[in-house]
Amino acid sequence: MRWFVSLLLITLLGLVQGLSSTGSRLLVVIEESSEKAQYSTFWDDLEGKSNNCRGYKLTFESPKNDKLSLFQHGERAFDHILLLPPKSKGTSFYTITGDVDLPSSGLGPALTPKLLLQFINQNGNILLTLSSDSPTPTSISSLLLELDIHLPPDRDSLVVDHFNYDTASASEKHDVLLLPQGSRIRSDVRNYFGGDGTIAFPRAVAQELGNSSPLLAPILRAKSTAYSYNPKDEAEVVEDPFAVGEQISLVSSMQARNSARFTVFGSAEALENKWFDRKVKSVDGRDSKTANREFAKQITAWTFMEVGVLKVGRVEHHLSSITGDAPGNDSVAQLGYLNPTIYRVKNDVTFNIEISEYSYDQLTPLKVDASDALQLEFTMLSPYHRLDLVSISQTPNSTVFSRTFKLPDQHGIFSFRVNHKRPFLTNVDVKREVTVRHFAHDEWPRSWEISAGWVWIAGVWITIAGWVAFVGIWLWSEPAYEQSKGKKMQ
Amino acid sequence: MQVPSQLLSFLLILCAASFSVAATWGFEDATVSVNKKGAGVGGGFKGKITENKALSEPVILGALDNLKILLTTKEDNKAKRPHQTFLLVEDPKSKLDTSFAFQVRENGKGKIELTQKDLPTQLLSSTEPLQVSLVIASFGSSKPYNAKALDLTIEINSGSPLPASEKPLRYGKLPEIHHIFKSDPTSPPKIITLVFTAAVIAALPVLLGVWITLGANLNHFSKAFSSSPIPHALFFCSILAMEGLFFMYYTSWNLFQTLPPAFGIGLITFLSGSRALREVQGRRIAGLR
Amino acid sequence: MAVEVLEPFLKGDTGRNTRGLLRLIILCTIAAAAVASRLFSVILDPWFNFRATKYLVQNGFYSFWDWFDDREASHPVAQLVYEPRKPAEEPKRTRTWHPLGRVTGGTLYPGLMVTSGIIYHVLRFLSMPVDIRNICVLLAPGFSGLTAFASYLITSEMTTSPSAGLLAAIFMGITPGYISRSVAGSYDNEAIAIFLLVFTFFLWIKSVKNGSAMWGALTALFYGYMVSAWGGYVFITNLLPLHTFVLICMGRYSPRLYVSYSTWFALGTLASMQVPFVGFLPIRSSDHMSALGVFGLLQLVAFVEFIRQQVPNKQFQTLLRGLIFVVFVVSMGVLVLLTVSGVIAPWSGRFYSLWDTGYAKIHIPIIASVSEHQPTAWPAFFFDLNLMIWLFPAGVYMCFQQLKDEHVFVVIYAVLASYFAGVMVRLMLTLTPVVCIAAALAISSILDTYLVAENPIPKETQANGQATSDSIKSAADVIKDSLRSTRNPVLGIYSYVSKASVVGAVTTYLLLFVLHCTWVTSNAYSSPSVVLASKLPDGSQHIIDDYREAYYWLRQNTPDKAKIMSWWDYGYQIGGMADRPTLVDNNTWNNTHIATVGKAMSSREEVSYPILRQHDVDYVLVVFGGLLGYSGDDINKFLWMVRISEGIWPDEINERNYFTARGEYRVDDEATPTMRNSLMYKMSYYNYNALFPAGQAQDRVRGSKLPAEGPQLSTLEEAFTSENWIIRIYKVKDLDNVGRDHGSAVAFDKGNKKKKTAKRRGARVLRVE
Repeated sequence: MRWFVSLLLITLLGLVQGLSSTGSRLLVVIEESSEKAQYSTFWDDLEGKSNNCRGYKLTFESPKNDKLSLFQHGERAFDHILLLPPKSKGTSFYTITGDVDLPSSGLGPALTPKLLLQFINQNGNILLTLSSDSPTPTSISSLLLELDIHLPPDRDSLVVDHFNYDTASASEKHDVLLLPQGSRIRSDVRNYFGGDGTIAFPRAVAQELGNSSPLLAPILRAKSTAYSYNPKDEAEVVEDPFAVGEQISLVSSMQARNSARFTVFGSAEALENKWFDRKVKSVDGRDSKTANREFAKQITAWTFMEVGVLKVGRVEHHLSSITGDAPGNDSVAQLGYLNPTIYRVKNDVTFNIEISEYSYDQLTPLKVDASDALQLEFTMLSPYHRLDLVSISQTPNSTVFSRTFKLPDQHGIFSFRVNHKRPFLTNVDVKREVTVRHFAHDEWPRSWEISAGWVWIAGVWITIAGWVAFVGIWLWSEPAYEQSKGKKMQ
Repeated sequence: MQVPSQLLSFLLILCAASFSVAATWGFEDATVSVNKKGAGVGGGFKGKITENKALSEPVILGALDNLKILLTTKEDNKAKRPHQTFLLVEDPKSKLDTSFAFQVRENGKGKIELTQKDLPTQLLSSTEPLQVSLVIASFGSSKPYNAKALDLTIEINSGSPLPASEKPLRYGKLPEIHHIFKSDPTSPPKIITLVFTAAVIAALPVLLGVWITLGANLNHFSKAFSSSPIPHALFFCSILAMEGLFFMYYTSWNLFQTLPPAFGIGLITFLSGSRALREVQGRRIAGLR
Repeated sequence: MAVEVLEPFLKGDTGRNTRGLLRLIILCTIAAAAVASRLFSVILDPWFNFRATKYLVQNGFYSFWDWFDDREASHPVAQLVYEPRKPAEEPKRTRTWHPLGRVTGGTLYPGLMVTSGIIYHVLRFLSMPVDIRNICVLLAPGFSGLTAFASYLITSEMTTSPSAGLLAAIFMGITPGYISRSVAGSYDNEAIAIFLLVFTFFLWIKSVKNGSAMWGALTALFYGYMVSAWGGYVFITNLLPLHTFVLICMGRYSPRLYVSYSTWFALGTLASMQVPFVGFLPIRSSDHMSALGVFGLLQLVAFVEFIRQQVPNKQFQTLLRGLIFVVFVVSMGVLVLLTVSGVIAPWSGRFYSLWDTGYAKIHIPIIASVSEHQPTAWPAFFFDLNLMIWLFPAGVYMCFQQLKDEHVFVVIYAVLASYFAGVMVRLMLTLTPVVCIAAALAISSILDTYLVAENPIPKETQANGQATSDSIKSAADVIKDSLRSTRNPVLGIYSYVSKASVVGAVTTYLLLFVLHCTWVTSNAYSSPSVVLASKLPDGSQHIIDDYREAYYWLRQNTPDKAKIMSWWDYGYQIGGMADRPTLVDNNTWNNTHIATVGKAMSSREEVSYPILRQHDVDYVLVVFGGLLGYSGDDINKFLWMVRISEGIWPDEINERNYFTARGEYRVDDEATPTMRNSLMYKMSYYNYNALFPAGQAQDRVRGSKLPAEGPQLSTLEEAFTSENWIIRIYKVKDLDNVGRDHGSAVAFDKGNKKKKTAKRRGARVLRVE
């Protein structure tokens, strides 16, 4: 059974061209095709000409183009969007009108915040790049506001760090940040952007993430001495910086509830050819090559669903008592005892779930690191059980997690629920409703098994015996002596 | 005129070099003071910081106090205003940090005032003393300064509790939950049960004994059976059978297995019973009872 | 001529036989009439009882007993040894009381279903395969026929006049007070319960009269049946002991009484304990304690009587009397003690609400909220009982005249029942039988007196009325010559005029009564609850069918498992007609769950939404009569929702907040913020203004003008509104995809832009991971 499933998945993979698990149609919004050249290596990496096949089909469009449309017959016309900052400084194109619906607000009629949001809601992924030397369109910033990502209020302000900058290229202005590749944001969160290279971040735009939303996660943060300032107003001295220190997120991500991904990339320039493996010199004089190219790959891979995508295989539950040798094996299925619709209170039940993780080009067994856990909830209104699932077996491209437990002593309509939401991983929310019934009248222990009942049982049978004896005497007794005639039976 | 010019240029280069090497940011006569509300000027803590040397004992910041730091920033002992003059406040445990910019005038005289209101709640609620360092840096090649200045202990006064800072929702592992089952009903110790059971059982012999002492006997057995054997036999047996039926019901049978025979037996009991009892009545009337 | 021909049939043995035959025929016709008068319109409520019966018939008694109702058509316990189930065979599972489910076997009175089940199987056995549905439809009328017969029997026990019984039968057969609960298709416990009630009383009277254990046992048997059929059995449980107690106090103790009561109590209690729903109540709850107490008292009295037979000694008797008194007091004390200590459950709330009509409203609003638990309006008595209501006292008076044990019973029954009927509309049902009996007694005595063709001659009356004379004698013994009527027992009217006039009058009354009953039945009690009929100006009838329209919409347009939240009144209908799972329904076994729904309805959206999510509600259904002037809508029921939820969350919901400062319940501009922010209000009036010119919105039920701008909904979206706006269905939105709160999401869609975070003041907010 299982080999069949995996085979199926593999064949599916065959159908999907390229790496992305969702599709390969990538729209690149770039204003002047002349600029395309600056990013050529990046494009090549995406199309996969040079290195291993990533096979995205790039479509270059200008936001000014009126025929551009993200949707076709109500369906997405593209799987992913890559937004490059519009170069033209001219305020003629960008009006500062508050209304986000007017095309004048920045990126043209096809890319209003509403449409972009709709694109996300229809499982489209967006990689948005910003740049300090081209002001962010109001439509973009208002879209970001909806997602609770904040940009500096005044356009073209940038991040500097007098302690970590590239002395080679920005000895004076200190606006090319040198940062190590991203480290995990939390001990229990998988890190898809790791590595020991340094990334050069020229003229980055700072982002601040709201504290409330769990969907946001910073990918690359600045160092504690960095700050964002506006070269025009605050040339002399910075009095009240927009954002400081680690709170400055240079690359931040938002994964929507439908697992669509949206990444804000602080510096478009960092993707240009000239910053892909280039020599940089840190303040303490160490020379190194930038890892921008690899980082760009990591970012696009994550944003366009090449990594961190979970697929759920089989979900099974059954009475553990009637299983064969190993829980969840096919013998159970053949017995036909798999996934019943009803259990009884206090049954011992085994739950199995098969999950695989898609990484770059194939499905791999999901590995949950020790500090984290895949958890099963058995819930009615509120969880009665929340248990860590343990992996019991692995196939070439999936892991089977399992757990056996005793159902609560409460009847009702429960559901097995695996609600696995983690930063950078697509959401898994598996729910299986089952009925848990009460004890039937003949499932209780019989009265003689309860020692306290013996007295009553004895009483009953003694009474019966006495009654029989009485009948006998009544029928066949002869009066002992005359004067007690009839008295006996009073 | 050749030589001096060369010398000059050489000198220039020299000092330029010395400049480029030596230029570092720093500060002087930095004073830290905590003004307690109410207590007059100089009521609270006072202290001096020198470069690269933090205050030994932690500074305590109460709810109503304000921390005031005055300093003069300088580049190579020359008072000058840098672009960045920050007070970097860091929570050593949670590694959260934030910075506060000094107001610095052209002559490098900078000052900053800090109260608990200015601090983010996450830092306020930190248990360990906050690490406060001075960051003085600017563009160009001169070396920036960043060193710890003092430890800041936050004193939350019980009167005004922290602004509520409940942990925002983050996806991650949740604590396990195990359902707590109701405890099974318990029986009293077997001894007691057995004693009482014995007592109950003992009741039967006692009853029979009493009857016998009252003169109960089965002497009329033969008489009854001689006069009307079948009814008596049937009646008594049917009663026994009924009890047997109850036993079967109690142990194995269900209602629908039990009812039909019960009706049958009941009928027999009724018919034979009426006959048998009539016979008994006959004996009573005959004065034999 | 005819007289001579008839002569032999009216005299002697043949006479008795013919009269017997006649009586039989009459009874059958009465039963037929009773059944017929209930067939005006036939709609079976396709609701719980019927479903339960079908389940019983399909899966057998035992799996019915162990039934766990998640409204899944299949898996009775028999099937629980799991068979393989492909998803294809996966039965459609629509559930009630989501997600709690309901242990049905333990929470219903199985009598009704079992009865129709038995009938079904018997008919099958007689090779008459009848659809269970038809049996359910016709069960109530059928049993009403039996009820008529039972009331004939019990009345004949009261008096010697044969006509009384027949009259009682016909009264019982057609009185609206009973028809209201037993029209064809109203398949509810009362359908059989009333027959059982009357018949049990008959058997009781019988056993008290002859003091035979057999009749006592029969009483117990039918009492058990009654217990399994209707919660109203408590009425019997308390009435019989009361009767016995009164008899004892009247010094009427007799071995007959002893035998009958002891038999009934012992067997009856055992029988009642066999019903899972009742279980140990008979020995645990105070409602049943009176029976137990009287049982004990009876034993004492019997003991004393026994002693008195042995020792005729004055002082000793007084001593014994004292002893009885002491023991009685002591046992009472113990009883109270147990009640206080909680071993015996205190009186159930429904019981209190019988004595204090205000009680329910405060303590158990869930009961008070049911319309049929309201105190009865006086017109209802006449409406349901017509002329009998004023014959009733006369009948009771006549019972006083010849005060035998059974008459005492009738008197007590009359007093209690009429009080209860005054307290709860529903209990009119228990009053009806005694009214019929009493009225029959009254009328029959009139007729017997006035219908005698030839002038009465004393000895003749003696002759043809042996029974009467001695009954009179015994009465005379009882009441010492206090009543004039007992002094000269020869009754009679001499003038034909008076005879004719009186008889004529009575006949007219009876005819009028029949007319009234027919009219009431056809108009008031035979209209289905789901279809509203209204008269158009031109008098033609207009059918308003919004309910079925809405339920059909649900059935067609929502996924099978979509959970519908509505107030519990519509639970059975949604379950039955829309075939969708509901949170709560008309079987109000779980107060808390209902209160939860009430809270969701009466709170702000921000509070309600999490509740809806938690119970994974997909659609919310409200009934709104504002457009049509249909007064039975949810806004009018709203206060009950508030009260019920206040009972559970007193600190979150407060009824006062829904009233204006002047204590008015209003929906217009005056309405309090709490009211206007409540989910119920919003759902009722959402988009309602759109129907009217600006600011003209009008609520025709409350008769008030609505605020100019209507309420805004952010967490729900309108899914369906029926033709006359009676039913409105809303879909519960999912969480916002990009993690905004619904308010701002809606605002964004409306196109107003979020303000950029301006110059920040105060401390920064740091993001923690």
